[in-house]
Amino acid sequence: MKHAERILPPRAHFTTEGGLGVEVAKRGRVPLVSIRLVVQSGAATDPPERAGLADFTVRLMRRGTARLDADALNEAVEFVGGTLAVFAAEDFVALAVTTPAEHLPGMLDVLAQMVREPTFPQHEFDTERDRSLAQFANDLDDPGLLADRALQRALWGTHPYGHDVAGNRASVQRMVREEVVAFHRDRFGPQVSRLVLVGAIDVASARPLVERAFAGWKGGPTEVAVPPPLTQTAFEGKVLVVDRPDQTQAQVRLGGLAYRRGEAVSFPAQVMNAALGGGFTSRLVREVRVRRGLSYGVGSSFESMRSAGSFSVSSFTKLKTTRTLLEVTLGEVARMRERGPTRAEVKKAQEYLAGLFPLRVETNEAVASALADLWVYSLGPDWVDRYRERVRAVTRGEAAQAAARFCFPRPAAVVLVGPGEALARAGEGLGAVTVVPATELL
Amino acid sequence: MSSLFRVHEATLRNGLRVRVVPSTDTPVVSLYTFFRVGSRNERPGLTGISHLFEHMMFNGAKKYGPNQFDEVLEAHGGRSNAYTSHDLTVYYEDFASEALEQVLDLEADRMRSLTISDKVLEREREVVKEERRLRVDNEVMGLIDEELHALVYQAHPYRWPVIGWMGDIEAIQRQDCEAYFRTYYAPSNAVLWIAGNVEPEATLRRVRLAYGNIPRGPSVPAVVNAEPVQRGERRSVLSHPAQAPGLLVAYRGPAVSNADAVTLDVLEFILAVGEGSRLTKRLVYEEKVAVDVGMDWSWRLDPGLLLFHAELAPDGEPARVEAALYRELARLAKEGVSERELTKAKNNLKAHLMRELTTASGRAHALGSYEAYLGSWRAGLRLGEHYARVDAAAVQAVAARYLLPSQRSVVTLHPRASA
Repeated sequence: MKHAERILPPRAHFTTEGGLGVEVAKRGRVPLVSIRLVVQSGAATDPPERAGLADFTVRLMRRGTARLDADALNEAVEFVGGTLAVFAAEDFVALAVTTPAEHLPGMLDVLAQMVREPTFPQHEFDTERDRSLAQFANDLDDPGLLADRALQRALWGTHPYGHDVAGNRASVQRMVREEVVAFHRDRFGPQVSRLVLVGAIDVASARPLVERAFAGWKGGPTEVAVPPPLTQTAFEGKVLVVDRPDQTQAQVRLGGLAYRRGEAVSFPAQVMNAALGGGFTSRLVREVRVRRGLSYGVGSSFESMRSAGSFSVSSFTKLKTTRTLLEVTLGEVARMRERGPTRAEVKKAQEYLAGLFPLRVETNEAVASALADLWVYSLGPDWVDRYRERVRAVTRGEAAQAAARFCFPRPAAVVLVGPGEALARAGEGLGAVTVVPATELL
Repeated sequence: MSSLFRVHEATLRNGLRVRVVPSTDTPVVSLYTFFRVGSRNERPGLTGISHLFEHMMFNGAKKYGPNQFDEVLEAHGGRSNAYTSHDLTVYYEDFASEALEQVLDLEADRMRSLTISDKVLEREREVVKEERRLRVDNEVMGLIDEELHALVYQAHPYRWPVIGWMGDIEAIQRQDCEAYFRTYYAPSNAVLWIAGNVEPEATLRRVRLAYGNIPRGPSVPAVVNAEPVQRGERRSVLSHPAQAPGLLVAYRGPAVSNADAVTLDVLEFILAVGEGSRLTKRLVYEEKVAVDVGMDWSWRLDPGLLLFHAELAPDGEPARVEAALYRELARLAKEGVSERELTKAKNNLKAHLMRELTTASGRAHALGSYEAYLGSWRAGLRLGEHYARVDAAAVQAVAARYLLPSQRSVVTLHPRASA
């Protein structure tokens, strides 16, 4: 029997007395360790009217624990040359630490404190809220970011995936400290979390350190909230124009629904996408940039989450070629949908995806992230170890089927960011046009 | 760190320098080509040609025609990209080990016989104009940064943006590109770094085969640094549609060849790297005059800049941020740093050096950059020792030497309503 090539390093598992699942992967020669704790309480679990609560909570966790105030906590991490990052995704929040191996015990202790006994001081809450509100305001000056936010709304509408993980001005303005305290109390616990350690550490050394740092962390939630699936995008066959009168360039996004994380169709879909708009020789790059010089950048991509996923095209161009860009990109997507990729394109896409795959899990951080994702989405190690094999097994017919399914078989949701009047004209004929001020997105 | 890998090196007769760093961690190879040319080698009227030329390099040569570079690379499981800075132009490819010979053939082909046609130039010109609209004209920080460099530098080519002025991008001719290629893209002005799953001797043989018959280039014209002495603070005020005021402050720094450059690396960590750094603690969390604050001290071949940037809230006041910033900088120059802060900065620099050398691509890029900036990659591997020797007095001394109000340039952006 042929053994699958192994991309992931060997791993060892154990569960703490409190019920926290831990995975340890020893790899590499550099004396560094990457630690990642994921909790399956992401932005999709934000309560109604409190978009951004998960993200806000996890960011505030580094601003004080029962034993360390914010300064002491930062000093503990930064003094030894470690790094700490916290963030929310739709389906989980993550706390990521890198540290010289010799300081692993101390870093595990800091991490455990943040997760177990954050104090959420009122003055830190106020500062963080003010910073968030200022950030939202400044985000209005970033056309690409506005376009991404607008696409999220155009795709998902009021679905739990429909808001940015950071929330918006109104939702953050309404938040009070007690909600953060409650979110942490109700949504954090060992049963819905996973700890991953990758790098210069073996399980025998790691286990006592983890047991000590997380001793007594038990109970908490046992159920993971699963958002409902979505059957139709909010702006299917419609155009959302975000008015930014002073721009000399239009940001363009097109989107539709695709597959959930872990669906087998993702392999032919990725192969198809590499041919359409993934690599630098894809059809979209060729037609938009190489042949016509319409843009510096164009691409298509899939995003997949626990309950649903999307397919989107992203680009930008000077105002007067916006219509041309729309026609060229929609035309290419339609051509792919109707006829699928050629055999040569499939072969090239397979080599491209398979050849580069090892680079996606080259660092300790990337391996830790991949292992955490495997757990969050219940994928099993084969998802990574057999990735190349499964990409290479895709047939042209399967890739064509994926194209028929995802390349806007129903009319795309269209997002344009720039001067409202001009862009409303550029979007004519692609569906009912709604023009909103940029402030409405944040 | 140097015990983790060995560098094999050779110089071809045409002057091409080659360095190979083998490892077996992943079945992948990274190839970097460093050309010692950037916007500092340009002149008014031709600003942006280095960056525009970087685009031209992907459009075909004698053996591999238009668009073949990425076609062939991707079909062999590879990807490529490039960047242009004030000092350097760097091309890189990541690919599966089996494709090494093929990729060397591609790279050598475009170094030997790049096709430069009017048609391609016209198209890439449009693409670059879109890139400029994206990164500068429609990006507040891009506008401020462009204004600042023009404010600081009066004679040195660091005055203009790497992407170039729009008028120059529109005016560059094919003949300019041809002359540029002959001068700056010759093997004698390039260094190849190959890192990853390769056999060093065989790799050097392959490089000789692929590149050996490319003729050596002319000597590269020296860059004249005629920058006059700055005799007092300079200020510029921009008015532009934006949500919040913007602020960028620069002090004149040394060239990377100056020993102070390394001490300034330490100073940068103490002032602005991490949530617990002096400026973040004071300006963001204590005085709350800024939402975010950062410092950028980047090595440059000619005297560079110590940049301080602040993100303000819509009701923020640049004058208050400036005052708080200057107080902190003056305090550093007057009182120096504690031993604990110094140790912390060194611990971070050590970890940073380790991190950038953990991947094949990281090793090729870091060592290649060290060679370009410090004169040799070995000097890069000795950085850790240099940092270890920096003491508190040295940090205080560079603060006092460079953070002078008379050597300051300040750009503020005041929001105005939309047109």
